[in-house]
Amino acid sequence: MSSNAMIYKKKKPLLLFLLPPFLFMAIFLYYPFVQNVLNSFLNITELGSKSNGINTPYYENYEKLFHDPLMGVALRNTMLMILLTIVFQVGIALLLALLVDNIKKGSHFFRTAYFFPIVISATALGLMFNLIFMYQGGMINQLLQSIGLQSTATPIDWKDEARALVTMFIPVCWQYVGFYFVILVTGLNNISQELYEAAEIDGATRIQRVHFITLPMLHNTICVCLTLAITGALKVFDLPWVMFPSGMPMDVTWLTGTYMYQQAWKLGDVDYSATIAIIIVLLGVVLSQIANRIFKEKEY
Amino acid sequence: MKKAIALILTALLTASVCTGCGSSATASTGSTASTAGSVAASAAPSKKVSLNVVTSYGADDGNRKNFEAAYTSWQEKTGNEVKDTSGDGSEDWKVKVMNSFEVGSEPDVLFFWNGADANKLVKNQKVVSIDEIRKEYPDYASNMKEDMLGASPVDNKNYSVPVNGYWESMFVNTKVLSDSGVTVPDSGYTYDQFLKDCAAVKAKGFTPIAVSLHEVPNYWFEFLSYNYSSAATFNKTPETTTDEAGKAWISGLTDLKDLYARGFLPVNTNSTTDADTNNLMSQNKAAFMIDGSWKVGWFEENMKEDMDGDGKADIENIAVTFPPVKGDTRKSTDYIGGISMGYYITTKAWNDPDKRAACVDFISHMTADDVVSKFCSAGSVSALKNGVTAQSDSSSLVKKVNEMNKEVTGISPAVEDLMDNKSVRTPFFADVKNMVVGKVDITKSVASVIDAQKKFLAQTTNAAS
Repeated sequence: MSSNAMIYKKKKPLLLFLLPPFLFMAIFLYYPFVQNVLNSFLNITELGSKSNGINTPYYENYEKLFHDPLMGVALRNTMLMILLTIVFQVGIALLLALLVDNIKKGSHFFRTAYFFPIVISATALGLMFNLIFMYQGGMINQLLQSIGLQSTATPIDWKDEARALVTMFIPVCWQYVGFYFVILVTGLNNISQELYEAAEIDGATRIQRVHFITLPMLHNTICVCLTLAITGALKVFDLPWVMFPSGMPMDVTWLTGTYMYQQAWKLGDVDYSATIAIIIVLLGVVLSQIANRIFKEKEY
Repeated sequence: MKKAIALILTALLTASVCTGCGSSATASTGSTASTAGSVAASAAPSKKVSLNVVTSYGADDGNRKNFEAAYTSWQEKTGNEVKDTSGDGSEDWKVKVMNSFEVGSEPDVLFFWNGADANKLVKNQKVVSIDEIRKEYPDYASNMKEDMLGASPVDNKNYSVPVNGYWESMFVNTKVLSDSGVTVPDSGYTYDQFLKDCAAVKAKGFTPIAVSLHEVPNYWFEFLSYNYSSAATFNKTPETTTDEAGKAWISGLTDLKDLYARGFLPVNTNSTTDADTNNLMSQNKAAFMIDGSWKVGWFEENMKEDMDGDGKADIENIAVTFPPVKGDTRKSTDYIGGISMGYYITTKAWNDPDKRAACVDFISHMTADDVVSKFCSAGSVSALKNGVTAQSDSSSLVKKVNEMNKEVTGISPAVEDLMDNKSVRTPFFADVKNMVVGKVDITKSVASVIDAQKKFLAQTTNAAS
């Protein structure tokens, strides 16, 4: 037996290669997570400092979650964000991917154009959308005023209580369309052209080809996108924070990510923040499992 | 051979994982005495170093240019480098500074508040006392009046060296007032007259008061509460909602709620930022704004052009006067001010033999008489034994500030500086928007802040002993 064949028989060298990444994960992910669970039962008022003992009762923070009205707002908004992410981010990305897949010229241009927002920092995007939605002299208000749909004396406050959520969700959804678009386009490229040719010979229309070939063949890719969208929506922080810091206005724009940050970094309630972090992880696991079951991966 | 390569690669990967786990010797915050003997007792740094400096002279602070000029001249003089990561002095900035200490990434030199905001820094021995520094550098801060350095509430020791003091008062847009048929207020401005003027300004389509209640409700809270107190009694937090301070706070917040109900604040006061409401003043869209001495530089920078086409720089439209007085518990010419900030040397830098002398030299340079005089050019007070030297190139606004300061009869420090930023002040001021719209009861909110403050004081004061 040659030495080349032996390398596949002996598993120990493989384990040696797997160990460092596992150590990395253990140190920088699993250990902090376990510590975070412990922190949720302790009283910690400063980041990096020792705890002042165990909470009384030890589950105080978990009880607080149910009585904290702002946590309710954050959860509600996050659920809405997940729903909108699925419908608009993945939905629009799918639509764009199908359209781009069906054109022969310019597909590379559209791929780059739709992917571009991903490479811009969320903070820069937040500042840009702040200018767009600004009350005095913002782009949208100026546009409406220039076409006579708005008086200069009474501009619209796009960030008021009634409109804040919509104003926040639009850029967040828009930002990641390109990400899912690229994943879906890659999925489309993996579908054999022979299937389309056979369907064309059988007289299938374009819509029928999408319905009976593309979508079923893209099922697993869509499933991956949904899982990523759900977990991503639970963690979203940067862009909403730049546009609506500290739940502005009137605490209506809290998300689980921004509320967790507020508790740890601005209010010094580190243990409560740790509890919110655990809820985010739990929600991520549960919701992605539900999504996986609903859109169960299929073998083709 | 393959086994050996596999083992080498594994060892390299493992080593790369562990590189982030090492501890830094300079991160030690242990006893300052441990390294004292190894440092030469000279203010002249012997080795070229790079100092991480954090101050509130960042963003659009009025003294930003003076700060840059001062530290640049120190760099040229010594050959050392200043890594300036200054911020805007906002509540967010305070939180970031405190967090940097908590996670061990504090600067070498910090320009920060000397009141309750720094209690945790003192209590946790994150900064070095002036007494400790003077054991090696006897002339440190010797040009300052000792009783004005700003002793810490924790142990009554001095830790920071001040530069310029501050004042808070009311900026007025005279063009907006003129267009509204309102006379520019002067000392003796009453609250009743102020309400009438606001109504007149509003009737003309302007915004009477430029303020973001979401971001900076503090200045209006201070002055409206000050109206029910005096320069001698204002600077203390209430013990109950029924003592003098408690009643003053509740009455002040009730007046703020009334101003909101009358529509005198910007329509989007709860959904806008301080930067946007500042622009209302510079763009001649609002009449009144309460802010501090640091805002003078902002007006000078942002209103130097003639944007309104009246043949003179827009800053000519800005005047400064005492905020309106209600009742007679305080005089109309009393305002809020004092010396609330100074330069600290962090324990981390003090324990670094290479940086200790450089920190002392840097702060001595930044608090020298000529540098402090420039920083005080907007009418700020100083702690200099020799007083400040008057600047000849003052703007029209600074001249107006100097005129106002001549009339001051009483000064009280800002009461917000007595509160802990994270556990007391941030949640309290975040609740102001809820108070003005009636979502939260003002008395209950003040009761909550009293409880939080008592808890904070129990945790921090006299704890260093």
